[in-house]
Amino acid sequence: MAGLSGEPTAPLGKLWAILGVRLYRRFVLGSAVIYLGLFMVALQDISLGGNGVRFLTTDLGRMFHRTGTMTFEPIAQLTLPGITFLLSPLNLLMGAFIALLVGLNLGVTLLAFRNPGACRFNRSSGVLASLPALLAGSACCAPAVVLILGLQLSAAMVTVFQLLIPVSVILLLTTLKLILDRTEMSPQYL
Amino acid sequence: MKRSEKGGRSLAWRWRGLISGLVIGSALLAAQQIVKAANARPAESLPFAESAYVRADTPEAYAAAMMSGGPPPDGIPAIDEPRFVPAAQADLEGGDIVMGFAHNGEARAYPQRIMVWHEIVNDRVGGLNVAVTYCPLTATAQGFKRGDTTLGVSGRLLNSNMVMFDRETRSYFSQIPALGIQGDHIHRTLDEVNVIWTTWERWVAAYPETTVLSERTGHLRNYQRDPYGSYNPAGGYYTQAGTIFPLMHESGRHHEKTMVVGGRTSQASAYFVLEELAEAGVQATDSFLAVYDGVLDTGYIYVTGRDSPVVVPADEGKYRLEGALYSADELPLTPVVPVEGFYFAWHTFYPNSEFVSEGTTAPGVE
Repeated sequence: MAGLSGEPTAPLGKLWAILGVRLYRRFVLGSAVIYLGLFMVALQDISLGGNGVRFLTTDLGRMFHRTGTMTFEPIAQLTLPGITFLLSPLNLLMGAFIALLVGLNLGVTLLAFRNPGACRFNRSSGVLASLPALLAGSACCAPAVVLILGLQLSAAMVTVFQLLIPVSVILLLTTLKLILDRTEMSPQYL
Repeated sequence: MKRSEKGGRSLAWRWRGLISGLVIGSALLAAQQIVKAANARPAESLPFAESAYVRADTPEAYAAAMMSGGPPPDGIPAIDEPRFVPAAQADLEGGDIVMGFAHNGEARAYPQRIMVWHEIVNDRVGGLNVAVTYCPLTATAQGFKRGDTTLGVSGRLLNSNMVMFDRETRSYFSQIPALGIQGDHIHRTLDEVNVIWTTWERWVAAYPETTVLSERTGHLRNYQRDPYGSYNPAGGYYTQAGTIFPLMHESGRHHEKTMVVGGRTSQASAYFVLEELAEAGVQATDSFLAVYDGVLDTGYIYVTGRDSPVVVPADEGKYRLEGALYSADELPLTPVVPVEGFYFAWHTFYPNSEFVSEGTTAPGVE
């Protein structure tokens, strides 16, 4: 309704239209922020434990050193009583990008749920696409996830863990495009 | 014409000057490099042990069983420029685990909570270049002479145990057998030193002048948190049954995470359950004798043979051998470098180890 003058057909136009509506904009941003927080926790860039208050930095060039297949070294650390934040710019950038995709997928899925004409695929695919994204954060530290699940890792599983981030991005982009293509953007559904 | 001749001569002189300058400069630089090279100490390559340890599998089989643990080489960053603080400034509780190494009157403590994030410290202790290494998955802390090269963490695992690489040839080494499994140094055995797994209160009592690895490692990590679990109090992965990565040899004789101390030579290997050794004081197998050190809560292993000498516990943590008293690490026998770690880790590399059957004094063989 608000912010819509016609019925957009191109995917980007549709996205823009959705983000023009406060409800969806808030939902997308809220989901993205929550996901980004979980991603940073999974990457251990946010972790419990810390003594006193300290702020440390290291060489900027270290931000490009890989710690995993697609995870990188921190260049700043903020320690507060009980919690520690590590700033790895590339992790943050990648986390924000995936988080935005997750948020958009969920936002469009919400629209599909509210849209009586949407097919079944539209209603569930955004959520399903977000599942590997939830695991993507664990790509750096497969053992930690395996510890929680009580599994034994095979070489194939390690490879899968290493590919979670790129696979998540591809899945999220694909489903976003598919849902947008199949979702009617009539103003009455927005 | 005259002007142009003058200009031509001046240009020619400039060129000659420039070329002469370049030639003299190059000669000076070359002379400097020659003097530098003549004065430089030849770099010491990675030192190796004279003989290999007994093993159940070939290095080629080990290389084939090696798998990625996730991080790329140096993705888990070794500490190459370690800093140390005096014992009084160490942020450690008495029960915290440290890895201790003493050499030539110099003692170091490497806190487990820092080592868990780096796994290797390339250090120089008492004039000796050593790599102090720690694999959290197998609880093995081992030291290796490194010459003038440094060791790094490859990110690959063999039998759930760290695979290291030397930065000179990028050969891969498996930590527990101290063995080259890929690259130029395949089949070669690293020269080991004894790194002791103990608590801070025990180490500082034994070595009050010790220095402690600082949290200023050159890397940023949350050193208050262990991603696998905890040792003080013990919990998480360190006490759970099961392992994360596949093993070449498995055994149900003890709980996987039982701490054992093992020893090996070119002929045989043996392990002793640390708790049982602590209770008995002295234990023997066909080829080895183990003695408990109550000061550091660790074990020392000596090569003996079937006619094992009679060693008996005496007062004040000493041991009596042929009428004389000795501390656990000073018995006049042939010592081996002991390796402490989880039982599953020792067994998977040394499945044919001699051991002491529970409740008996007779040695057994798996």
